Amino acid sequence: MANWSNLKTLAADPLDVFARRNPSFYERYAENEDQFGFDLATFARWEPVFRFLFEDYFKVETRGIENIPAEGRALLVGNHSGLLPMDGAMITVAMCNYHESPRRIRYLATDWFFKLPALADWVKKTGQVRATLKNAEALLAADELVGIYPEGVRGVGKTFDERYRVLDFHPGFVKIAIESQSPIIPVSTVGGDEIYPNFVNVRELARLVQMPFFPVTPGFPWLPFPLMFVPLPVRWMIHIHDPIDLGYEPERARDKKLVLKLAREIQYLIQKDLNSLLKRRKSVFTGWEESPVEEKVSNGAA
Amino acid sequence: MEQPDLTLEHDQNMTMSDKSDSPEFRSLDKLEPILEFLYRRWWRVESLGLERIPSKSEGPCLIVGNQGSVFPWPALMLGHALAKRKQGARRIYVLADLESDLDARTRALLEGLGFLDWSSANMKTLFERGEAVAIFPEGISGLTKPFSRRYRLEEFDWTMLLPVVECGVEVYPVSFLGFDEINPVLDNFEVLSKLLKLPFYPVTPFFPWLPMPLNLVQLPVEVSMNVLKKADYDKVKSRDDLESVAKRLSFWLEGEIQAELNRMLRHRGI
Repeated sequence: MANWSNLKTLAADPLDVFARRNPSFYERYAENEDQFGFDLATFARWEPVFRFLFEDYFKVETRGIENIPAEGRALLVGNHSGLLPMDGAMITVAMCNYHESPRRIRYLATDWFFKLPALADWVKKTGQVRATLKNAEALLAADELVGIYPEGVRGVGKTFDERYRVLDFHPGFVKIAIESQSPIIPVSTVGGDEIYPNFVNVRELARLVQMPFFPVTPGFPWLPFPLMFVPLPVRWMIHIHDPIDLGYEPERARDKKLVLKLAREIQYLIQKDLNSLLKRRKSVFTGWEESPVEEKVSNGAA
Repeated sequence: MEQPDLTLEHDQNMTMSDKSDSPEFRSLDKLEPILEFLYRRWWRVESLGLERIPSKSEGPCLIVGNQGSVFPWPALMLGHALAKRKQGARRIYVLADLESDLDARTRALLEGLGFLDWSSANMKTLFERGEAVAIFPEGISGLTKPFSRRYRLEEFDWTMLLPVVECGVEVYPVSFLGFDEINPVLDNFEVLSKLLKLPFYPVTPFFPWLPMPLNLVQLPVEVSMNVLKKADYDKVKSRDDLESVAKRLSFWLEGEIQAELNRMLRHRGI
């Protein structure tokens, strides 16, 4: 049976409860004025919901969380999934609750989110930032953890038969990493592509309602309002790889060939890891029964 | 184990219909009409970038591809396409881990189709002769891959690339789309495979349920193969560097082939 204890604090004063539960995260960001609109109170209100999903619903298994540095800048790069981009939220929860030095992750989110008034506010307050080159540079200069999904919106709207097939990465993230001299941490996520099996994207409807894609899933758009967003209880795995220090001079960021090659190598690393994680998975709903032997994926970008 | 005689030459301008004394491609000549039928009518193979592979006069090259399920059709179809192409037609040798206790008839047939035992000595000999060599570094697990993991590459065996890096020949990755659906493998019946001394015993929707000729039916899937840009790797000679270069090359090839498969699948739809 599902455990509801994570949701019990929803009615209480969220900031107070959060400060007691997670003092180091609270102290780190309580006094901190943020130019991109991060709001700790909003974060604290929503964190239990996603913690419930993380711990009790998806039962996410995290591997290699210690690879994320306690201090300093880094770029988290992963495979995107899930129609509603739940994968970012899950890594944020992991980082908030399971890291020895909890930190927030600033995801670069697509422009579409910032067009809808209510959603834009919420997305900003929980820590996401509009995806522009300038914003990414500012965040890294402030020694933040920046999350990028280089597949972009296309990656979220993948249909079910394309699950865990990484689309070609936009190489911009390598350029940013070389320019700002920050390490890249590849993250592969298994589970996200199966919570909302997307049968088909109706392009005409998407254009009509100005959404990046219009999915048709078992629940959406058939079921009444809140039910259509209920995800399947898939078992997740988040594998955080060792940080990759590219070690190139900032001037090399303009070398397009090099940047593209490095982006491809990181893409291939994540795809290779997804393939091997999928191979060892017992089933969608039970996941990886015995803790599998830690297999070092050969790191081509090192 | 008897190694096939690699010293025999065959004419580089030979077409498939020509009679030839070469023992290696004996069966290919006989099977040519069948292969032609499979290539054109049954699987309607569409190939892209075939001209990238150099002709015989331009020297040796290596072709790396993803394995199809159950039968090594990708090797045969690529070989057929190359032997039939208008400019620079050439044969390819396929180096694979043939089972050592394979019975003599099967082995003779495979050798007649251009399959040779994988060994670095064989590979180097072929490169010295300027031949085109194809390898499928997924190995046997590529053949037994279940349908649910179709077009997801197994880890490449990078040791196969050691002699390649040593000789410094050109390497062309090829993505084959379709061959994993010709025989949808549902399960591998290990007990029977041990009993019958087979490398694996696949269970498909037809095999072994249907009566004899029907259970061998190969689904008429539309097949495409894309030859990708040749892989770029450092030319090194020292022993230690060889290993790391071969590992990186194998990582790169696996990624390139997988990424192209993803693109092809997205393009194809269902």
